[in-house]
Amino acid sequence: MKARRLLATVVAGGAIAALTLVLLRRSLGRARYDRGLAALRLFIRGGVRYAGSAPRLFAAAGEQRQLLREDLALRTAEDVADTLGAMKGVMMKIGQMASYVDDGLSPAVRRTLARLQDSVPPMSPQLAAAVVEEELGVPPERAFARWDPQPIAAASIGQVHRAVTLDGRAVAVKVQYPGIAETISADLGNVALLRRMLRITAPSQDVDALIGELRDRVLEELDYRREAGNQRLLAAYYHGHPTIHVPGIISELSTRRMVTSELSGGARFAELASWPQRERDLAAETIYRFVFRSLYEVRAFNGDPHPGNYLFHGGGRVTFLDFGLVKHFTQAELQPLLQMARNICVEHDPEAFRRSLENSGFLRPGAPLSTQAIVEHLAVFYDTIREPGPLTITGDYASSVVRRFFDVRSPVAEYISVPRSYVILQRINLGLFAVLGELTATANWRAIAEEIWPFAQGPASTPMGEAEAAWRARRQPIAA
Amino acid sequence: MTADPYAITTGLVERSAAAYVSGVPQDAADDGFFGPASVTWRVSADLASPVAGLRSLLMQALHPLAMAGVDRHSDWRRDPVGRLAATSAYLATITFGERAVAVRAAARIRRIHDHVRGVDTVTGRPYAAGDPALLLWVHSAMVQSGLAAGRAFGTPLSAQDSDRYVGEMMVAAELAGVPPTLAPASVADLDRYVASVRAELRCTPAARESMAYLLDPPGLDEEIAGIWQDVRDAAIAVLPEWARELYGYGAPQPLTPGRRTEVRQSLGVLDAMFLSEPGVLEARQRVTLRMRAARPA
Repeated sequence: MKARRLLATVVAGGAIAALTLVLLRRSLGRARYDRGLAALRLFIRGGVRYAGSAPRLFAAAGEQRQLLREDLALRTAEDVADTLGAMKGVMMKIGQMASYVDDGLSPAVRRTLARLQDSVPPMSPQLAAAVVEEELGVPPERAFARWDPQPIAAASIGQVHRAVTLDGRAVAVKVQYPGIAETISADLGNVALLRRMLRITAPSQDVDALIGELRDRVLEELDYRREAGNQRLLAAYYHGHPTIHVPGIISELSTRRMVTSELSGGARFAELASWPQRERDLAAETIYRFVFRSLYEVRAFNGDPHPGNYLFHGGGRVTFLDFGLVKHFTQAELQPLLQMARNICVEHDPEAFRRSLENSGFLRPGAPLSTQAIVEHLAVFYDTIREPGPLTITGDYASSVVRRFFDVRSPVAEYISVPRSYVILQRINLGLFAVLGELTATANWRAIAEEIWPFAQGPASTPMGEAEAAWRARRQPIAA
Repeated sequence: MTADPYAITTGLVERSAAAYVSGVPQDAADDGFFGPASVTWRVSADLASPVAGLRSLLMQALHPLAMAGVDRHSDWRRDPVGRLAATSAYLATITFGERAVAVRAAARIRRIHDHVRGVDTVTGRPYAAGDPALLLWVHSAMVQSGLAAGRAFGTPLSAQDSDRYVGEMMVAAELAGVPPTLAPASVADLDRYVASVRAELRCTPAARESMAYLLDPPGLDEEIAGIWQDVRDAAIAVLPEWARELYGYGAPQPLTPGRRTEVRQSLGVLDAMFLSEPGVLEARQRVTLRMRAARPA
């Protein structure tokens, strides 16, 4: 692989190996981050840099968007097209996907991303109501017992309204901007500009693959029915769970352009800063269990685990929101990840670990590297789960994972690549561990991992684990 | 004689953005010469305005005496981006600024023009930047470019609004020093006038060099370079055919709906970059709010 860039790879530091890919040029030093278009470049770099404060950055951006500019509200579909057409909606989605993992952004790039978000006003009450009426055939005042015409939050391509259903349930209704799906898919369909710009930083075959990936993900997000389906699946799976709550979907009030779910209260991520460490640890444990239970039992991974999508209730209870970017895996796709974790954490067998990497396409077979070098390169990603015992995930640890992730100088990096279906799992490193590091969460992660690893089926290791075990015993096994 | 190289192009977006922000008042005491209900404000907010600006320059440069004045007297070669930014700031000021501010800015420009005189080495004719005939050409090229760029790549104006725009812009001509009776008052006037000047137009070496520089600016930030290609091609595409021939540019790509979309995408990216510069979003929001107040939906 003599390409000027290389595929830097990482094995997830979670309970389970999760490999990810990032395209980098060999010469990061030449990389320039100082202009607005870097938002696009960032996407292909998959969130090139990162440090522990990323969640704070994103939360701040989210809060800004709460300042919904009613006076500038979009009043017609033409207003929507003027605001989000001509690539702006596309750039906003790209920025959204790339930004929360990235702390290495120059101020200019950060400003561009934040500004694009800020530059999108809400829909006027009339326009939002018109969308609801087009979707349901009746105006919101008739579809709901109560409808709050003022949005309570902005979503990237829509906004959230509070309402009460005719049978009395308090709900959050996400309403999509009219015409936005058509605008964004049209802009994504005409890839000449994207390709030309993205070629700045990567060879064309990578750019085309990444544009393909980008298109798939963004187009998925434009159809809220998919999001509703994901949320329905996870809400059903976690029904009755002691600490994990996924709001239920109101199917009859959910369509392509609107999704209605139970309304949830709770504290925002930023508020956790003032909570006792014990509470933060419990919240972290729940998030950890949610990520890996979802991955290994529902075979679904939320690729957008940013801090704005959690609501905290104390005692470790967490509500999980926003399932627009969920990736579903097959059993066969998950198997190599488990195998690698088992090789290195349980069997302590470096040669077997190497064979697993090779067999699943992560490591080029016959690479002129010692197995020890490979293990040393990748071991950091398993640091939290190699040995039992309490361990604190710090911002420093999250950063060290990231530094290794981007250690393009390592002789190992050159022989590593990542099959496309695993790309999204980088969010485990760059999203989950950022959050846990931000919480400086302590737990016996290995013991929790053993509870969740299908091959281990370990005993409950915490009170939460016991409660979860009881829940598991009560619930029906999920259909395969 | 025109051998000085052009300076490297940096900060095109930043300096244009600063120019725009400088022209949009915080709390305007009056609506200026155009006002939030004007067609002029709509045209200036159009996505196609970079294309309009570049087409303006391409047209204006074809007048040998106008070109000579810029080439010999301004710091166009030493600081081309600064020169463009100064023009942008002036236009933003007379468009959005309060009347008194616009009048002061115009007076300043007229004073500068007073010092710009000489003899054009190509035609042997004397020139003076304050010459109403030159100012009229510069004005008309700009107004026609706003219409042409908007028609092709922006939000096209109705025939009635096009006439209104030309009529509104007569004030700008007057501010610059064109006697009130000379400026075109309608699209038909404008087109007649441009046709009448055609015989005087030619592509002098200074025009050729200036525009070659502008179409492919050396050292342009790489993020913008790709976008600029589209802006450039779009500006050439909306030139009159005879102007393309004077420059020796080939026939443009046919303006298909797909091509229009591509150009608009590039313009959208450029606009997003522009929008991210300090103060631009706020300035634009101020303009939008005033336009809404003047023209409720």
